[in-house]
Amino acid sequence: MIQLYDFPGGIHPPENKELSNPGQLVTLPLPEELIIPLGQHIGAPSEAVVKKGDQVSKGQLIAKAIGSRSADLHAPTSGLIADVSDQQVAHASGLKETCITLHADGKDTWHANITPADPEQLSDDEVRQRIYAAGIIGMGGAGFPSNAKLATDKPIHTLLLNGVECEPYISADDTIMQVDSDGIVKGTRLLMRLLGQVKCIIAIEDNKPKAIATMQAATADDAAIEVVVIPTKYPSGGEKQLIQNLTGKQVPKGGIPADLGILCVNVATVNAIHDAVYLGRPSIDRITTVTGKGVNKPGNYRVLVGTKIDFILDQCEMDASANKVVLGGPMMGFQLPSIQVPLVKTSNCLLVPGVDEFPAADAAMSCIRCGQCEVVCPAQLLPQELYWLAKSDAFDKIEQYNLMDCIECGACAYVCPSQIPLVQHYRYAKGVIRHKAQEAKQAEHAKLRFEAREQRLIDEKNAKEERRKARAAAAAAAQAAKRASQADGDDPIAAAKARVAAKQQAAKAQATDSHPEPAAKPNHKELKTAAAIARTKLKKAQKAFADAAATDHPDTDKLQTTVNELTQRSAAAAEALAKFESQLGVDPEAIKAAQVEWAKANAKVRKLTKLAPEDDATEAVHKEYQQTLDAAQKDLQQAESHLQSLKNPTEESS
Amino acid sequence: MSILIYAILSLTVMALIFGAILGYAAKRFKVEGNPIVDQINELLPQTQCGQCGHPGCKPYAEAIANQTDPINRCPPGGEATIKALADLLDVEVLPLDAEAGVDSIRKIAYIREDECIGCTKCIQACPVDAILGAAKLMHTVIVDECTGCDLCVEPCPVDCIDMLPIEVTKQSWHWHKPDNLIATDRQPNLTVTGEDAA
Repeated sequence: MIQLYDFPGGIHPPENKELSNPGQLVTLPLPEELIIPLGQHIGAPSEAVVKKGDQVSKGQLIAKAIGSRSADLHAPTSGLIADVSDQQVAHASGLKETCITLHADGKDTWHANITPADPEQLSDDEVRQRIYAAGIIGMGGAGFPSNAKLATDKPIHTLLLNGVECEPYISADDTIMQVDSDGIVKGTRLLMRLLGQVKCIIAIEDNKPKAIATMQAATADDAAIEVVVIPTKYPSGGEKQLIQNLTGKQVPKGGIPADLGILCVNVATVNAIHDAVYLGRPSIDRITTVTGKGVNKPGNYRVLVGTKIDFILDQCEMDASANKVVLGGPMMGFQLPSIQVPLVKTSNCLLVPGVDEFPAADAAMSCIRCGQCEVVCPAQLLPQELYWLAKSDAFDKIEQYNLMDCIECGACAYVCPSQIPLVQHYRYAKGVIRHKAQEAKQAEHAKLRFEAREQRLIDEKNAKEERRKARAAAAAAAQAAKRASQADGDDPIAAAKARVAAKQQAAKAQATDSHPEPAAKPNHKELKTAAAIARTKLKKAQKAFADAAATDHPDTDKLQTTVNELTQRSAAAAEALAKFESQLGVDPEAIKAAQVEWAKANAKVRKLTKLAPEDDATEAVHKEYQQTLDAAQKDLQQAESHLQSLKNPTEESS
Repeated sequence: MSILIYAILSLTVMALIFGAILGYAAKRFKVEGNPIVDQINELLPQTQCGQCGHPGCKPYAEAIANQTDPINRCPPGGEATIKALADLLDVEVLPLDAEAGVDSIRKIAYIREDECIGCTKCIQACPVDAILGAAKLMHTVIVDECTGCDLCVEPCPVDCIDMLPIEVTKQSWHWHKPDNLIATDRQPNLTVTGEDAA
């Protein structure tokens, strides 16, 4: 028997657990439609692997985990995937989320992959793989994926099974311990095997005598598993409170129980692990308490994940007068914005209060500083201070008062004589702080990206500047070479002048020597011009005609005749040109090629002229530059004469 | 007389020694840059939107540190940033300068991809490289990187960029502030069920 410590604070609200007949499990009939939200766990939502129109069987994978804190989802029954779309989910915000809609075919046939196994024959890795593949998440409400929890690298010496269930009204864990103690114990032994040398404590509150008796009987022959009965006090089921109660130690701020060598798992989760490993069954159903005076058939029901809450409440004969439905217990649950939403893996209770069961809260009055909230706070915070700070939006200061350690148990609000909605203030402040932290993270990220970009732009600019400098240096060298060649007495200006003079002379001589062409005979150039003019005229007329046709102008007919006439003329001109050219032996393709050659040579010369070296460059550089320039100029002249010869073969030959 | 000389001498020697120590410390522990600029920059929202009239948050932080610009020219930061800056610099809180723009909800740029002509102008405008694309190919915004600065909207020649408010998801949603009720101002149905149990 281990020594119990106790934890500070806590309250004793009316339990009302007998209302839901703990220990009697009823299986709900198969609903026609199931809606499976993709984000049931904490962490990133899963990704659907089925699409509309797919036929699935019970237990088949329908959504795959994304990242390490995510879990697979499976079809709760066989049927047809009717849709993958955004739908409202069971969340206080009433927001939508991507869900898979499944229309049950009523056959409820298991998928072929679902096979039982003997864990004795499986390796530890295979057991872990079966747990992972079953998509099991913490069923006490937190929704933390079990495989991620088991993958801890911290040394664990105690496995703590949480069967406390301290919240009033709820009896789902009580029921599962009574009806399936065998599954829980087998699941526990599996976890103990995976964790190595550990002892196990099953903690149960003393208001569940039947569950205690059943679990004690089931573990009587195992010295490593101990059932510990703890006194009833809310919130003794909180992970941190339970650990303090059993060990006297506190989980460090911001830490997890594994820091103390303890792994805390809910009993329903352990049962799901048993089902996954022994039977191969994924997490597709759970036990949910439906209770409150607003339902005529309260009790514990085995429901499929994805069953719509209005269907469940119909089956439990909800009173027509009931005006609200709470998901979770009376202390930590929240009022559902709509009951047309699906139940998820973490939903342990549906509470439908009767009309006079939870009277609407009186409006909050001023805080009278009675300090009762401080007395009951299990986290030893200062709820009053936190309230003032949250009310005045002093978020920096409220963090110094350890708001983030608040477990939102609601004990402070429960005892507040002024009926101040304290927890709602804390939830608001926590939300804003998380949001701000997120924004700060994004701002830091944006800053890094901005700075990286600035640096890149500066680097690019510097590189450009360097390239420019390198070019300038090369040009200076070329200039120097030019100077050097000038010094040799080879004056380029005089040479160029001489070349021009020679050219003029030659042209004169050619003009006098060549026979003038007979005026009657059409000239090549003239023919070309005529053809081009005819083409342009035709184009203009065609455009005018198109415009007129588009606007239904009265002159359209006239324009039509003009266009026809011009088409003929243009054709005639083109024909005449072609005939003349063929007579002359002009090859248009060759001319084009020659033109390209000439343009290339011309560009080279111009480029070189620009690159003339600086005056102060060395002689050798000048000389080299001059040689290159001369060679380029020679090339240009050759290209020019070649082009001329092609263009005017008659003139050349004559 | 000799006492006077000894006193002057010893004081001079001490002054030299401490001067040397201080001089060495000033060199050894020299702080690069202006630390107040970094502190101010930490408080700015880093949208790099330029609505303050500076090309980015850091230049504005420098302007504030040099006291050439008031602290109220950052619309994306809004009142919260002004308050934080006022706290840091120990100056008075000013209302947001309307000239710089209005405090609005945070938005994210989305490119209507069918209409994008691939001109790359928005890519050049984006201060955080959050737009992906190449010349004559469709561009798109990397939503996670976008700061909602608006700078890409103006250069777009075909106006295909929309600034849309960030959608609230189940993950980003948080509880609103409870109504500040007093007893004479009765409202039914407070949603925290903790009280309901009472």
